[in-house]
Amino acid sequence: MHFMHISEDTILLLYEIVDVIISGLTNGSVYALMAVGLTLIYGVTKAFNFAYGSFFNLGGYCAWILIGIVGLAGGYFSIFLAVVPVLFVVGYLLEKVLVAPLRKYEDWENKVMMMTLGLALFMDNLYVVVFGGRVKSLPPILEGTLEIGQLVFTYLDITIFFLSIGGILLFGWLLNNTRIGMAVKAVAQNPEGARIVGIPKERIFAATFAISTVMVGFGGILLSQKYFISPMSGGAIMVKSWVITAFGGMGSIRGGLYAAFIIGMMEAFVGWGFGMSYGMIALFILLLTTLVVRPQGLMGKS
Amino acid sequence: MLKVIDIDAFYGQFHVLKKVSIQIKSGEVVVILGPNGHGKSTLLKSICGLAERVEGRIEHNGQNINGLPAEKIVNRGIIYIAENRELFPQMTVLENLKLGAYSKNARPHEKQNLERVFTLFPRLKERRGQMAATMSGGEARMLAVARGLMSNADLLCIDEPSLGLQPSLRIEVFNIIKEINRQGKTVLLVEQNIPRITDLADRVYVIEEGRISFEGDSGEALNNEALKEIFLGM
Repeated sequence: MHFMHISEDTILLLYEIVDVIISGLTNGSVYALMAVGLTLIYGVTKAFNFAYGSFFNLGGYCAWILIGIVGLAGGYFSIFLAVVPVLFVVGYLLEKVLVAPLRKYEDWENKVMMMTLGLALFMDNLYVVVFGGRVKSLPPILEGTLEIGQLVFTYLDITIFFLSIGGILLFGWLLNNTRIGMAVKAVAQNPEGARIVGIPKERIFAATFAISTVMVGFGGILLSQKYFISPMSGGAIMVKSWVITAFGGMGSIRGGLYAAFIIGMMEAFVGWGFGMSYGMIALFILLLTTLVVRPQGLMGKS
Repeated sequence: MLKVIDIDAFYGQFHVLKKVSIQIKSGEVVVILGPNGHGKSTLLKSICGLAERVEGRIEHNGQNINGLPAEKIVNRGIIYIAENRELFPQMTVLENLKLGAYSKNARPHEKQNLERVFTLFPRLKERRGQMAATMSGGEARMLAVARGLMSNADLLCIDEPSLGLQPSLRIEVFNIIKEINRQGKTVLLVEQNIPRITDLADRVYVIEEGRISFEGDSGEALNNEALKEIFLGM
């Protein structure tokens, strides 16, 4: 019957839209992981970490060294096993050496911002010096595609999605079921109360910084398989993470999760409709609109 | 068990405590009275490592503990129980209690302390799944005291536990503190005034304008005309 006829163009368009949605979901899941990490630092230490994006690339470059130079066996499984502790230790030490000493000043928030901004510049330029200005690529964790009828999903997208979600769930579990997780929550909810019961706040701050470094670095290993590792891209990642965090509501983990998927989706659709370079513009329009209409963000407290 | 020797404490530009000395013997209930803002809380916080800047000597079992970080002092068996409660609002009663046993000194005794606390505060047992933020003032105060007990400390530094409570609840709080003391804990208690102080306190100090202005056992405090009018709530 004539009215049931769907043109081939319409079907192609539908496939394209499914592709865009998958891309949005994949990127959104990694953004969610990153946003949770950033929200965690802000929620617990009330400090802004402007070097966050550079840790994303730290994860990517660590993986690149292990694959390209060391030739580590065991695929990505052993890479995660090797890189995660490195990220943790780097995050912990950087907090202890660079951030913690600033806390004794009255305007320590500003000093931490400046320090981490400086750290970001240092790291990004160090990447250029050490790895060169050209982008590097990582092999996909899984090759091949899954075809369901006419729909094609890459195993890479699927794996990235589930590893990110798995990372977030693991983080949530650790937060609620381990002694250190409870201590982190306690410091976030009431720092003075935490001190009273004998929680070493300084150590929790450093651990929090370290955990968030792991989360963003892990995100970097995942997403760099889809795109590239580019030494100066830390700034863009940082901006994205901050916009997600502000849009979701500062300090709200749930808000950050929603915001990450909304922004991942928005970026994918804007990229598809107008071209990738419009992604950032859309991001800033969203940020400005949020700041005007609902400054506390989706789920933040005003 | 605890000797505070000539300490000076500062809060920003303010010189809050001036050459204050007090002593607490094991098993005692020592009450510190004084008007608001004259340094009572600061004295407790100085002992517990929570004050900003403290000069002088604070001896716990012969060792100077002034300058140690708060968690080290909790580990030594000294705990601060805050007047404004300082609970973890988005956690349950049980989670608050478990965090009370965070210190190394408390961990091995967590189970038995939890049982003891629940016997002492049956209402907390009923409400162990409730969020701390949704508790009434009286219950939150009980939870703060209970969380302090979870630390397995021998010396409880309790800051105005009856602040803002209605009279019947105040009596209940003091009765519980008495019971805790009977079970073997040493108590250093700060209050603005206490009814029937001889029932509770062994000794009394009064702090005015950052200095100790009276020191004696509770009978002497009761017979001091000036104190009677101002602090003892009679």
